[in-house]
Amino acid sequence: MARPLDPLGFEDEMCPVCKSRKYLNPDIVFVFNPECYHSMCLNCANRLFNDGPNQCPHAGCNKTLRRKGFRSAFFGDLAVEREVDIRRRVAAVFNQVEEDFETLQDYNNYLQMVEDLTFELVNGTDERRRQAEAQLQAWEAEHRQDIERNKKAGREADEMSRKRLAAERDAARQRRIEAIKEAEEEKRERVRSREMELDNLAKGITTTTEPATKVQLKRRGQVNRVAEAAPNPAASAMATGASEVERLSIRGLKEKPKAPAPQGPYDPFGGMDFAPSRYKLHGGLTHPLIEKYRLDRQHVAGGYSFDDFAARALYEAFAGLGVFVEDEKEAGSASGIGLSQETTMAAGIAAVDDADRMDLD
Amino acid sequence: MEFNIDDLPVLFPYPRIYPEQYAYMVDLKKTLDAGGNCVLEMPSGTGKTVTLLSLIVAYQQYYPEHRKLIYCSRTMSEIEKALVELRALMKFRAERLGHEEEFRGLGLTSRKNLCLHPSVKREKSGAIVDARCRSLTAGFVKEKREKGENVETCVYHDNLDLLEPHNLIPNGIWTLDGLLRYGEEKKQCPYFTARRMMEYCNVIIYSYHYLLDPKIAERVSKNLSKDCIVVFDEAHNIDNVCIESLSTDITQDSLMRATRGAQNLEAKINEMKDSDQEKLQSEYEKLVEGLKGLDEGRQEDAFMANPTLPDDLLKEAVPGNIRRAEHFVAFLRRFIEYLKTRMKVRQVISETPPSFLAHLKEYTFIEKKPLRFCAERLTSLVRTLELTNIEDYRPLQEVATFATLVATYEKGFLLILEPYESDTAKTPNPVLHFTCLDAAIAIKPVFDRFSSVIITSGTISPLEMYPKMLNFSTVVQESYSMTLARRSFLPMIVTRGSDQASISTSFQVRNEPSVVRNYGNLLTEFARMTPDGMVVFFPSYLYMESIISMWQGMGILDEVWKHKLILVETPDAQETSLALETYRTACCNGRGAVLLCVARGKVSEGIDFDHQYGRTVLCIGVPFQYTESRILKARLEFLRETYRIRENDFLSFDAMRHAAQCLGRVLRGKDDYGVMVLADRRFMKKRHQLPKWINQALLDANTNLSTDMAVGAARAFLKQMAQPFSAKDQEGVSIWGMKDLKRHQEKMAEDLIVELRTQREDEERERKRREEEERRRLEEERDRVSDYEMDEDDEAEMMALDARIG
Repeated sequence: MARPLDPLGFEDEMCPVCKSRKYLNPDIVFVFNPECYHSMCLNCANRLFNDGPNQCPHAGCNKTLRRKGFRSAFFGDLAVEREVDIRRRVAAVFNQVEEDFETLQDYNNYLQMVEDLTFELVNGTDERRRQAEAQLQAWEAEHRQDIERNKKAGREADEMSRKRLAAERDAARQRRIEAIKEAEEEKRERVRSREMELDNLAKGITTTTEPATKVQLKRRGQVNRVAEAAPNPAASAMATGASEVERLSIRGLKEKPKAPAPQGPYDPFGGMDFAPSRYKLHGGLTHPLIEKYRLDRQHVAGGYSFDDFAARALYEAFAGLGVFVEDEKEAGSASGIGLSQETTMAAGIAAVDDADRMDLD
Repeated sequence: MEFNIDDLPVLFPYPRIYPEQYAYMVDLKKTLDAGGNCVLEMPSGTGKTVTLLSLIVAYQQYYPEHRKLIYCSRTMSEIEKALVELRALMKFRAERLGHEEEFRGLGLTSRKNLCLHPSVKREKSGAIVDARCRSLTAGFVKEKREKGENVETCVYHDNLDLLEPHNLIPNGIWTLDGLLRYGEEKKQCPYFTARRMMEYCNVIIYSYHYLLDPKIAERVSKNLSKDCIVVFDEAHNIDNVCIESLSTDITQDSLMRATRGAQNLEAKINEMKDSDQEKLQSEYEKLVEGLKGLDEGRQEDAFMANPTLPDDLLKEAVPGNIRRAEHFVAFLRRFIEYLKTRMKVRQVISETPPSFLAHLKEYTFIEKKPLRFCAERLTSLVRTLELTNIEDYRPLQEVATFATLVATYEKGFLLILEPYESDTAKTPNPVLHFTCLDAAIAIKPVFDRFSSVIITSGTISPLEMYPKMLNFSTVVQESYSMTLARRSFLPMIVTRGSDQASISTSFQVRNEPSVVRNYGNLLTEFARMTPDGMVVFFPSYLYMESIISMWQGMGILDEVWKHKLILVETPDAQETSLALETYRTACCNGRGAVLLCVARGKVSEGIDFDHQYGRTVLCIGVPFQYTESRILKARLEFLRETYRIRENDFLSFDAMRHAAQCLGRVLRGKDDYGVMVLADRRFMKKRHQLPKWINQALLDANTNLSTDMAVGAARAFLKQMAQPFSAKDQEGVSIWGMKDLKRHQEKMAEDLIVELRTQREDEERERKRREEEERRRLEEERDRVSDYEMDEDDEAEMMALDARIG
């Protein structure tokens, strides 16, 4: 495995083959082969692998290396270099983004799964590494389409952000140049007015110095005001450019996959509530006219319920409430619906409205 | 004395008051009533602190809301001074009111200053004291102790748990000294007493950092309520404090130690995996839930806090890829390695956070989001692992802080990599500066959270610069002049030497022998004339060294030596304090001394030269910043782009506030006197940027002087100052007794009445005019209408009428 970096000798690396050091040979270049991540100096690599594949010179390492595979490291620590190489491979496959997931937790679980897998690939034993490798390949096979799509989207987003950064940089440079120009212009102006003043003095034209400075002050104030009013054409152009870039981005617009809402039990009335809303039905309502029938077995035997009678009577009594005949007339005459029909409709609407309100409550 | 401002009764602990103090109170009250922010400039030495305190305490006690006062000052001595003032004020109030009010005032400073533990308090470095204190007082240490393990704890801290948690210390004002003494007596820890009692006291006095530095503020100041009154005293440097609190520097050495920290962390994790798997697992589960679960565990003993601001505080769950401890450590190592690689570059790089993040992602596959959680995750891990030797992990913490900041803020920050210390250096010593360019970022939560923020100082001109830079709006912006019964200070601008050659410290001419000689002559002349102490300020250490050596060659120092002792400030704090001590002795025993110091050094900021300690201040050159610094350049550009403050305006503002600060050092009260000399040609144009009170005293006749003229003026001035001057003469003019104050109030009231009356008259007149107009308009209309409405019958009738008359 990789040689741990000597924590003190940041610059003083030694080639394990020819034992030359950076201290002695400041031009030394270290290379390594991603087959086994053992480093050596470029000279040694050239010397050893010039005549085709050869065994790695490190003790105990019996990998066969080729000259072509050698490259110089980006990181000082080759363990990290190796990890990053692995990550590059993993990231190419596991490139889902947060929008692909239903909840943040799912995304986090996914991230952890990826990290676990990567960790196995980097630090695991041979057995586990093989397993992880298999898992990686399985995932790739399964999600080929998603991977392709995300890769494309990712490339586009990168491109966008790069463009935007470049645009911002350009705009900043432009503004800097303009500011410098402005300052120079002002300076020139000042010198010119002063010279003019001196000339005037020499020529004997008596002008007080005040008007000249006043003019200049005014001018400067104006410049400032103008600058404040319209910040900068370049800046605004950049802003619109940036917004355009943002507007073009479609990554966030994609609808997140949503789990179907859980279904409740079937309701034949579609949520309609038949409970009366304007009044409350108490049992035992009575009327002198029906009082005598209540005890009459003949009526009761047929299944006639006196509560039903009370309920219906009350419903009919309340059905017209909340309906204003004047309004209805107008509406009715316009649409040509008969009054009676209309009233019942309105009552129905009112009832439904109330029902809705009740539901909400 | 006792008086009313509007309906508010104010008790002022002195028998007399300065007019500007009264004006200050009136404006302060206006601000508090309106519930907004203000910027106030009041001359140094006119009792700003006591004015502030007496008004705000009166306000607190009178109105039922009892708004808490948070008073922020800069140094420990200033905090102590304010506490003493507050104590005197409360004593006076108790005497006047006849009873002690229920009132508690506390000061808070670092552990180092407030520790009582016999061995910990002997440590020299504040960081070590912090670390050792945590290892004795952290929550898990206590748990272990309860479990019966043999761990060392701090008895002072443990005793606190035996007391009522909201009544650790009786009512009253506790100076830092008093707090220490009380702690020693009762055997309780003063630091934690102050920390825990902050919620229950009426006045808190502490350093800026407890409110501005997000790393500390979140921990110390998060429980303060919204209607607190926040005061920043000596706030002329507040923008720099804000910027420093969010900037970090990373060196190769700190990266090296961070790597070691990460390795240790890994070892600890493996250890724990073998012994105490459950703990890691429970931490993991909490992280799955989100950081909210961790909040309970977040206490005053936290290792570090998230450096981002409260509103950016992450309430989300930690990203999945750093949830596991070992994953997180690998993540950190990768990040550190990346930084190390970046450090190897041998040219200067400056880039914005987004571009840094893009590069980072390309090479290490580290996304922005986990990076944001870095600091928080590290804190959690450290707590889980129950690490005690926290000092070793400080570099790692720095890196994590940096990671969180760089991933949180896109705008207002810049990364600058400087591979060499100076332009001429050959050996690389790379430093990665992560600099905050926008002072408004750090102070934003303060303005968002508290309704009244008061920014005040002796020299905070031009006032409009601060709201602009810190991005807030003010209710009142006021600069008070100094009322004086006699001219007790003499500001002068010297632009030429005795030979009429102009003097300046601009780069082109600063080392020319004629300029150096002229400055030398100025120094000698004033050293000859000034009684007792004299202070000289230079724009930089570098220039001071070179000019001193040139003076030595010219024999000027020998000349000065005849009249005064010469003492020099150095960057070393210990040396400087020794020099100051000697200076004080020399001033007191009549030998007299000259102190040569630097306008941005320690002396210029915190040391007062009152009375005989400073009779002349000589400011040699305009103290501009070192403009070649890349950080400064970046900040200038940012200011121009964002706040439309031009480079030169900012530089000149910054130089002048330092110059004013230097000048203010010698005048610390109304019975004090001193000469102030600004020696540079360029001061002529910058005159208007001086604070109002200095600028008003600077007569036209005293500008554009040559050395000999300045000497003449100063001599006359000193002669006048030597005349006897009794305190009586000041009364009614620069010092008000009760009668004068009454008169003034009556006059103000009359003025107000007159103003209101004229206003009403104006309104009346306006109304009448309008009515008149209206009437006329109506009439006209009516005429017109009647014209039109005359129908034929009428016409006929009229014609008939006409005919009859005719």
